[in-house]
Amino acid sequence: MCGIIGCVNPDGGTREVLMNGLANLDYRGYDSAGIAVADGGIEVAKREGEIDRLQKQVTARSDTLDGPAGIGHTRWSTHGPPTDANAHPHTDETGDVAVVHNGIIENYQSIRDELEADGVEFVSETDTEVVPHLISKFRDDGADPQTAFRRAVERITGSYALAVVFEDHDAIFATRDGSPLVIGVDEDAAFLASDVPAFLEYTRDVIYLEDGQFATLRPSGVEVTESDGTSVDPSVTTVEWSADQTAKSGYNHFMAKEIHEQPASLRQCLRGRVNELSGSVSVEELSDIDSPESVQLVACGTSYHAALYVARLFRAHGVPAQAHLASEYVTAPAPFDSDSLLIGITQSGETADTLSALREAQRRGASTLAVTNVVGSTAARECDHVVYIRAGPEIGVAATKTFSSQLATGNLLVEKLCASGTKRTSESTRELIPALRDLPNQLQSVIDNSTAKSVVEEYLDYDAYFFIGRGLHRPVALEGALKFKEITYEHAEGFAAGELKHGPLALVTQRTPIFAVVTGDGERAQKTISNIKEVQARDAPVVAVTDGQSEVRRYANHTLEIPQTHPRIAPVLANTQLQLVAYHMADRMNRSIDKPRNLAKSVTVE
Amino acid sequence: MTIDTAVILAAGEGTRLRPLTTHRPKPMLPAGNIPILEHVLNSLVEAGISEIHLVVGYQRVRVQNHFGSTYRNRPITYHIQHTQLGSGHALLQANETIETDFLVLNGDQIVTEEMIETVSSSHTATDTATLGVVESEKASQYGAVELNDNRITEFIEQPTDDEYRLLNAGVYVFGPSIFAALERTFQEQGRLSLPETIRDLTTDESAVRGVVTESPWQDATYPWDLLSVMQTLFDQNRIGDETTEQSPGVFSDQTATIHEDATLRPPVIVSADTVVGPQAVLGPGVAVGENTTIGAGAVLTNVLVDSDTRVGQNATLIDTVLGQGVHLGPGVIIAGGPADIRIDTKVHEDCDLGGVIADRATVGGGVTVASGSLVGSAATIQSNAHIDGNIPNEAEVLR
Repeated sequence: MCGIIGCVNPDGGTREVLMNGLANLDYRGYDSAGIAVADGGIEVAKREGEIDRLQKQVTARSDTLDGPAGIGHTRWSTHGPPTDANAHPHTDETGDVAVVHNGIIENYQSIRDELEADGVEFVSETDTEVVPHLISKFRDDGADPQTAFRRAVERITGSYALAVVFEDHDAIFATRDGSPLVIGVDEDAAFLASDVPAFLEYTRDVIYLEDGQFATLRPSGVEVTESDGTSVDPSVTTVEWSADQTAKSGYNHFMAKEIHEQPASLRQCLRGRVNELSGSVSVEELSDIDSPESVQLVACGTSYHAALYVARLFRAHGVPAQAHLASEYVTAPAPFDSDSLLIGITQSGETADTLSALREAQRRGASTLAVTNVVGSTAARECDHVVYIRAGPEIGVAATKTFSSQLATGNLLVEKLCASGTKRTSESTRELIPALRDLPNQLQSVIDNSTAKSVVEEYLDYDAYFFIGRGLHRPVALEGALKFKEITYEHAEGFAAGELKHGPLALVTQRTPIFAVVTGDGERAQKTISNIKEVQARDAPVVAVTDGQSEVRRYANHTLEIPQTHPRIAPVLANTQLQLVAYHMADRMNRSIDKPRNLAKSVTVE
Repeated sequence: MTIDTAVILAAGEGTRLRPLTTHRPKPMLPAGNIPILEHVLNSLVEAGISEIHLVVGYQRVRVQNHFGSTYRNRPITYHIQHTQLGSGHALLQANETIETDFLVLNGDQIVTEEMIETVSSSHTATDTATLGVVESEKASQYGAVELNDNRITEFIEQPTDDEYRLLNAGVYVFGPSIFAALERTFQEQGRLSLPETIRDLTTDESAVRGVVTESPWQDATYPWDLLSVMQTLFDQNRIGDETTEQSPGVFSDQTATIHEDATLRPPVIVSADTVVGPQAVLGPGVAVGENTTIGAGAVLTNVLVDSDTRVGQNATLIDTVLGQGVHLGPGVIIAGGPADIRIDTKVHEDCDLGGVIADRATVGGGVTVASGSLVGSAATIQSNAHIDGNIPNEAEVLR
């Protein structure tokens, strides 16, 4: 939510770096964008709308918009609607200082009242605008840029990542507290951004700024200090992602690319972690973690659906486990004891709600584990343990490949943490390992053979779309509905199959198709088939996702087939079919698939 | 002249390689343990090409997924040929993105960097086109040329007699004017063939240069050719590298798990995440793709195993091609060639082929496969059955 980019580059080309960075960050927000470049004075270009509108404005302008230091911003509105005036960067009245900000300044109103009482004129409705005016005020009092910036930051409370340029300095001043900020270092240039892909094409050597730290980027190098001013020797790490992983490579949408990438991302997730010869699972990151007596999982959105799935796996292994929505968890945390483990699942490792739940648990003494995709992210650094899902960068706002990797990682986690040595467990592990190794190719076969594209043609223009599943397929039903509503903007809901008759059945008509996930032919499958008959009796069309073992085909108008596999792996394959349903429906409806309205990828405000 | 841009034609299926091409185009079939197209791109990169254009079509996502948007740091631009209307039509898809002289290669034929360099450096600004030519007795199966003092005087696609000895290697350098020439070419039933355009250029006395090279040139026309391509690549040291070489001619990725009681006989390569059980014997002449499982006691000689495949315990496989995600039960026997094989209406005699099992076929335990059998994609063969001949895609064979 909101993306920041900055670049110090004495040789020029700053504008290009900023515009490329914004293009790479626009999954973080895309309702307005802007850049500011310092070169004796400060030139600002900003625009409501997507980045190509800004690009047109920038190209059309007569001034160069280039210089040794610059900052840029892509916005996802929190305070004030998307307008040119509310777009970042924001400047003071003289235009000598420009600021970009990600996060929320909670006490902005009181500061604004105070500044306005002093005669300062505000031009936007944002919380951010108080920052340049504060800095300007301290500058007028005689403070140097660094001091003025620090004094302004001392005044604000809330969550923020801030980057500032001054008209007469070849430098960027930055800090963070609660919002992500990463610095990239190169031989004669320095970068900063909310996320690594923004500058990945220029450097892979990065410094992760900690909460409360300040950084000054100059052509001569990067200086990091603590909030009290003591100097820090920052550790530089090299990220493994490459720039080409963040390009569309011939696909129309990142989402399509990422759905199709799942065989490869799952391979990456499982590499070196399952050993078929010894029949065991090993996860290097978890070599020193104790088996928990009970588990709580916190997550949001798609990651929450993964958490529901993982909680079930733990329970099946006899470990009490519950999944919680992170934003709700903090309002009334579940009780836990010293042998409990709190697991936070977050793709970006920056999800504010999840971080705050993890911090609350840490404060109360719980042991924490982050399941994340981003090395060096806040969750990865703050938790006691971390396991990486290794899905590679995900750009589409609707999560796809990271969900399948979260489910696969969940299986590894459970095998690793619940290795009680009982005969039953080892048997189930022996069956699971070949199934995990077969998963990449089976998922490829789902993609190769899916009829989702033709099936959605039959279901255009219906009133609402419902998704049902039982057991491990309930998270799939919820995720299927979430994906569908995110990118088609059609009304979609996921239900536990057995819950339909306790209320939602009232919504079911011949204008509400039901997507039902049914695999195997056991008791659960039979019960779900009974639920299907209930909706059929109300004339609702049924699309069954099935491995062909039960007779569900007889009761379905259409089927989407998946190969037979281990019951724990079937949800990954079934989900792929529902990803394709959502994608093809949205594509058919000409929706903005990679950037659905009102949504942003990593939500870094609570 | 120095050439830095290349267009690779990778849009066609390669129907003669069915059933292996059911889910992917021929350029993505394995030459050793990596796709044919990856060898082509390696040669291009070694030859100094910095800009890569891939024309994709049939099952194109397989190409896009494998290579992404760069290869060895060279940017890849994808051009989509929505219907396969010939090689000339494929090349036209890259029109308007290229303004200099550029290379054109087939994505399904393995050429060396030497050939690419020789053709590029022979090309001059006054040439409309320059063609790589090799001496081969197979000339009559492909495109044959006649040369007179470095000028192509005659260009014949698949000549009916076999008096020709010079073969068009499918390595071209063109000036941008080729696009106009393509648009002028007569289209037979909507199909536009690149050789047809070149033939027109030779007859209207445009400057078409031919360069004879002695570089090896390889094409897999039929499924069993994949085995000889693999053997040739082993012989030329074009499979594996120092980082994975465990002993002379034995290559295995560090993420592979090989039981200490398994035997690897050179030349052999085992890829990432692969598991080889105790007492298995791989080689000589075996390439195993990634995430593959070779069961205890399995014996493989002259076998190509593509990724994600499982070979059951004590299976015996000779002269065999296994596709992706194939499941072979325990004790399956494919005893090797030679065999007579029917492809469409033509019978190929004395081919060195035990069998081809296409992607995701499941072959039950104890099945015996007669020499030269082709088992289709996703076919299911029940345990202890005997297979002889061609099994269609998705067919089920009961005992």
